[in-house]
Amino acid sequence: MKVLVLHAHPVETSFNAALHRLIVERLRAKGHDVDDCDLYAENFEPVLSRAERLAYHAPRTADEPVAPYVARLKAAEALVLCFPVWNYGFPAIMKGYFDRVFLPDVSFALVDGKVRPTLRNIRKLTAVTTYGGDRFRTWLMGDPPRRIVNRQLRATIKPGARVSYLALHSMNLATDENRAAFMEKVARHMDAF
Amino acid sequence: MRVLVVYCHPVPESFCAAIRDEALATLKGAGHEVRLIDLYAEGFDPVMGCDERRAYNDGPPGDPALARHIEYLQWAEGILFIYPTWWYGLPAMLKGWLDRVWATDVVFRLADGPGRVEPLMGHVVRLGVITTCGAPWWWSLVVGQPGRKTLLRGMRALCAWRCRTFYLAHYLMDTSTQESRTAYLRKVRARLARF
Repeated sequence: MKVLVLHAHPVETSFNAALHRLIVERLRAKGHDVDDCDLYAENFEPVLSRAERLAYHAPRTADEPVAPYVARLKAAEALVLCFPVWNYGFPAIMKGYFDRVFLPDVSFALVDGKVRPTLRNIRKLTAVTTYGGDRFRTWLMGDPPRRIVNRQLRATIKPGARVSYLALHSMNLATDENRAAFMEKVARHMDAF
Repeated sequence: MRVLVVYCHPVPESFCAAIRDEALATLKGAGHEVRLIDLYAEGFDPVMGCDERRAYNDGPPGDPALARHIEYLQWAEGILFIYPTWWYGLPAMLKGWLDRVWATDVVFRLADGPGRVEPLMGHVVRLGVITTCGAPWWWSLVVGQPGRKTLLRGMRALCAWRCRTFYLAHYLMDTSTQESRTAYLRKVRARLARF
């Protein structure tokens, strides 16, 4: 399967970067065709510009700045997100990926003023993430990233596609055992992807 | 009251800009002291870099570009966010402002004891959100209004215990009319007159 892996963490020695390496390694070992998109390493620009906003509803063109990212997203059959939760959301660089790449005629179409999801090529979606806060506090705050993945992204991709959300909470208190157990969980998930 | 208006939109002639102008005029008219942060106009960099992330738990961010933002944040008794809702949440620019400015030893302190976070924004007693959404309100509710929750629950938890909040959204922006926008601006004015 062609899997697009989106990763967003600035520190190469972080636990999140280790999760990212594990994901890519395990998927490749199982024979998947992985497109590894490390947003920090690729220096992705997350800020939607004035020109992009003005051209937002215009037909897509091959020479717009995000065209290569659009092509990679459309070529994918599965999507894996690997990111830390900061302030109850995606890091800005990943939020900007959705702002700039999830465009009309890419992830949705406006038909008679109604939104039609169009990312039917994505048949599987997994998010792998780490939270500083504990599970209860995150739940209390409404857990925005979990909702975005489980509801909004689920509604954007192929209907009935499998959506998984793997999260490690209380990162600031996590022990080596917690982290190892989570790595193991992610590895098992990727082996069975 | 000292009110910080945080505004985020890339297009100077957008409806959000009209909301900003209405908000600034109304707040000043009501006698508040107002400061504005216009993130796009000042070209704020929303991406937290490697060194900043490494030092995140050790103390306040050292980038001099953030100093004025931190000062404004510490000055404020009320904060008003004006932005377009994109993909149910904050534009990356505004999310990055939270990531970089709402940082350790600015808005919270890692206190003694396992996992304890001590809020430092007790001086903020009002939080408001004024936004425009492409989606209808019912679908925004299904997705859980991530932008609203991030600011009015997540960030509110770092403010005064009795901090009051409000949320004003113009839904279905793509099919909005002159009338709906005028009516919405009226609503904005009425709500901010009693900030």
